[in-house]
Amino acid sequence: MRHAPQNQIVIPSPTARRFYGHGIPGVDLENLAGRLIVVEGADGSGRSTQIAMLVEWLEGSGHATVQVGLKRSTLVSEELERAQEGNILSRSTLSLFYATDFADQIENIILPGLKAGFVVLADRYIYTLMARDMVRGMDEAWLKNLYGIALEPDAVFYLNVPPEELVQRSFAKNTALDYWESGMDLGLSRDMFDSFMKYQTTMQQTFRHLQTTYGFTIVDGMRGAEAINADLRKKISAILAGK
Amino acid sequence: MKTFAELNFPGRLVAVEGLDGSGKSTQIYLLKRWLELEGLKVYFSEWNSSELVKSATSKAKKRELLTPTTFSLIHATDFADRYERHLVPLLRAGYIVLCDRYIFTAFARDVVRGCPPEWVRGLYGFAGLPDLTFFFKADLEVSLHRILEGRPQLKYFEAGMDLRLSTDPYESFRIFQGRILEQYLAMSTEFNFLVLDANQLVEKQQAVVRQLVAQRLDLSAFRRAERPPPRPTPSLRRPAAKVVEEPVE
Repeated sequence: MRHAPQNQIVIPSPTARRFYGHGIPGVDLENLAGRLIVVEGADGSGRSTQIAMLVEWLEGSGHATVQVGLKRSTLVSEELERAQEGNILSRSTLSLFYATDFADQIENIILPGLKAGFVVLADRYIYTLMARDMVRGMDEAWLKNLYGIALEPDAVFYLNVPPEELVQRSFAKNTALDYWESGMDLGLSRDMFDSFMKYQTTMQQTFRHLQTTYGFTIVDGMRGAEAINADLRKKISAILAGK
Repeated sequence: MKTFAELNFPGRLVAVEGLDGSGKSTQIYLLKRWLELEGLKVYFSEWNSSELVKSATSKAKKRELLTPTTFSLIHATDFADRYERHLVPLLRAGYIVLCDRYIFTAFARDVVRGCPPEWVRGLYGFAGLPDLTFFFKADLEVSLHRILEGRPQLKYFEAGMDLRLSTDPYESFRIFQGRILEQYLAMSTEFNFLVLDANQLVEKQQAVVRQLVAQRLDLSAFRRAERPPPRPTPSLRRPAAKVVEEPVE
């Protein structure tokens, strides 16, 4: 028997929201009906594929979506890109520049999206930013204060793929390794392959460390895209139903 | 947070703080000239002047895109860039670094804009404290008069228009500056501000500044090497004066 389509649409109710730290001045966290879902993972871990599949499914189920990601703000994305190309910024500067980019998106996309009842899908969030900086020796307490402006998401999925597989996926896609994803600025090794392996291994350790604080869901990214997405859909369904 | 002396840097950092129109820029310029003419290693740095961040900041300000949070972060980014690329290396090299505004400007402004004080202070947690901080305390009306007498075009953020204190930029500026002054005064003891009476004559203030600097810093430690000979900074070079040979007696 066929159900009328509108009966299948789950209507989410507002949930209690909080910032991780001091938050953003002048923001009312009441009545944010939307949901914030974060997908984390290294380049090549399948983040964009998963997000694209989630958008299809969510929109098919009657939920409006909006996407955010790193280095996508109107405020500083161009300047950040330029600065990174030249590799001329030092650590705290780059870190604060990324935080500015993040804050602009929180204020102009994430919060309005949640207020309008959208499902906000974030392609990476503060965890990548923090992990990158921690691997570069920055103080964890300093970073936690900085990112106290971030909203606690409804779910964070970390797609876990070992560096050996990441390197294969990277070559299959680009036939080259990315300078920053290889951590070349750290001087771990002159050999880009070695540097990539070392850097990604350290990043994974750092994510595992952050997981103990932020409690995100670690997803086995070695399975097929469909199997992974089924997992995510199940968890997101529960979140939308307010469970 | 520690001063650069406490951090065992060979260099020393001297900062000036105060409201717009308090005369602090004039005072730090005169201090710089004195130290240069004494043959000391001096570097001068201004708030909000990092080349790299400038394009983002000016675009954002023009389009009025900034909120208190992004205003705070973009200025912290600018500061970090100057701090890591100029201030720290020069302090390591034993320079006297003079800063027209330092972290206290952010502490005062961002808090007036509504940012949580602990968060703002945390952002600047990587920075050392100045070895000397001069605070130029002028009566609010005196500072306001100096800035406003020409009825200048006040910029949106400069006037604190984003705070919606008043629809009149001049009235907004008055209220905004008044609140900043309160924040400065509240920090004065905590951060050992050397408070100067900015209502006094320029020379009188400068005499106090020089005296305090000479007392608190061992100036002989910052002398330039004999060779190469000291040269004036290009931007400050005056037109060459005609030298008239005095007849030898």
